[in-house]
Amino acid sequence: MTVPTPNIDNDNRAFWEGVDEGKFLLARCGVCGSWYWPISYCRQAHPAAPFMGDLSWVEGSGRGAVFAFNVHHVALEGWLADRIPYVNAIIELDEGPMFGTNVVDCPTGEVRVGMPVRIVIRDVDGVKLPLAVPAPAGA
Amino acid sequence: MTDLAIVGMGMLTGTQAGRSMRSILAEASRLAIEDAGIDRSQVTAAVEVRSAAGRGGRAGSSDAFPRLLGLPVDFYQPIGRGGTGGAFAVAIAGMLIDRGIANYVVIAGGSLDYSESKRAKSSSGAKGTVRIEPEGYWGRPFGDLRAVSHHSFFASRHMHEYGTTSRHLGLIATQLRDWALLNPQARYYGRPLTLEQYEAEDYLVYPYRRDDVCVMTDGAVAMVVTGADRARDSEHPVSVRGIGFGEAMAQLWWEKRNYTSLAVQNAKQQAFGQAGITLDDIDCVQFYDCFTGEVLLQLEDYGWAGKGEGGAFLESTRIGPGGTLPVNTGGGLMSAYHFGDLTGFSEALLQLRGQATGRQLENCGTALVTGHGGEVLNPGMCSAHSTVVLSTE
Ligand SMILES: [Zn+2]
Repeated sequence: MTVPTPNIDNDNRAFWEGVDEGKFLLARCGVCGSWYWPISYCRQAHPAAPFMGDLSWVEGSGRGAVFAFNVHHVALEGWLADRIPYVNAIIELDEGPMFGTNVVDCPTGEVRVGMPVRIVIRDVDGVKLPLAVPAPAGA
Repeated sequence: MTDLAIVGMGMLTGTQAGRSMRSILAEASRLAIEDAGIDRSQVTAAVEVRSAAGRGGRAGSSDAFPRLLGLPVDFYQPIGRGGTGGAFAVAIAGMLIDRGIANYVVIAGGSLDYSESKRAKSSSGAKGTVRIEPEGYWGRPFGDLRAVSHHSFFASRHMHEYGTTSRHLGLIATQLRDWALLNPQARYYGRPLTLEQYEAEDYLVYPYRRDDVCVMTDGAVAMVVTGADRARDSEHPVSVRGIGFGEAMAQLWWEKRNYTSLAVQNAKQQAFGQAGITLDDIDCVQFYDCFTGEVLLQLEDYGWAGKGEGGAFLESTRIGPGGTLPVNTGGGLMSAYHFGDLTGFSEALLQLRGQATGRQLENCGTALVTGHGGEVLNPGMCSAHSTVVLSTE
């Protein structure tokens, strides 16, 4: 069984189009420059901003650190059978937002909260996905 | 505002294989209406508590339990956002009664997860993981596709920040199991779980083992709500003293405390304020316990333990049978049964009515019933909380 495709809707289409082009995009407020993911009205609530508060999709640094993680030891669906054990994590991006993805290129037993990571775009069985890989400080 | 009371309850437990959801809700409602000592013709409003309501367009299904049972309802709505629907249904009942739209409101919820998962012959068969989440969440390609896939983040973060251990989670799982051993209707009745057994279990989704995850069962609960004036004639009225709601969604993914605490504060303040009570007034606690982590967080967020001190609290205070803080006295979602959002209500009502055979608390006058849920996969995660205070007076 193949990897399920992400659910692409009108709020996140630009994000996934960016992923297809190898870019990791975040929503950015055109008024104050705050970063958001997923797309959100700026929490500064700027008055008289245009539709959706003048947000645009801008490439993020892709840098962050593991905020929380788990290790799936059981294949919850058949297509995951040859993938276990795998790590799901919430990444706290340097820009502020949190982003959920897999941590790869790292033995599952070595993943730690606080571990620096960077987001890379990988082709996983024909689906381009933003994944987190270990990124030693300064690397 | 009319004071509310719950005057009837009906429960169906055990496998319901071969039955429809609407038929088990109708049957639980029939039992609740009989228990209330009223006639079906008096029930003119019905609320169905679902795990998720209204998917698939304007109508969620082709038939409804009030039609099946023949309730002459002027009002019927399915509601559902997973976890807090019981409190919401009682709030709706209050509005209907306040405005004179109905005198008696039946609230029903249930699950066929156990028999449907058997029928689907799911690949893993792992406890509590077979439930099919809605298609199309963006977390799916990352293998984030069951409640356990992301709820374990709560425990992961709490362990990191506060040094909470697997043993602490085990103290919750084993003590709720101890309650289930006293409840013949519980899924895990007759199947003890020691801390040693728990700690020897493989991880399902680290840091959660199989017994950190709620059960998957069939069953249904219904209750009849009316105004306090009408409740005076009923055999065992239970007063709804307070209802409260809290929400963390506006802060999700920026306010990073929401992985170590739930949106309890406002919900508690509203409900306890209406009831005029403090923690010391609560005789039994029915937490929404989809995972052990939720119990830990609520012990802290309600204030029985300081933030981050839930583990130490569990080392010194028993929440199982004979303990000073009885939590989920029927075994809870963890070890007894998952009636959607109504498991806590069912056990609170049994305790307050003195009908919790084999596990009845002495002098149980006031009960806390909580709900926890909301959107369940990336990026939103269970941001909703509800608090209900019930009492015998
Ligand atoms: Zn802004």
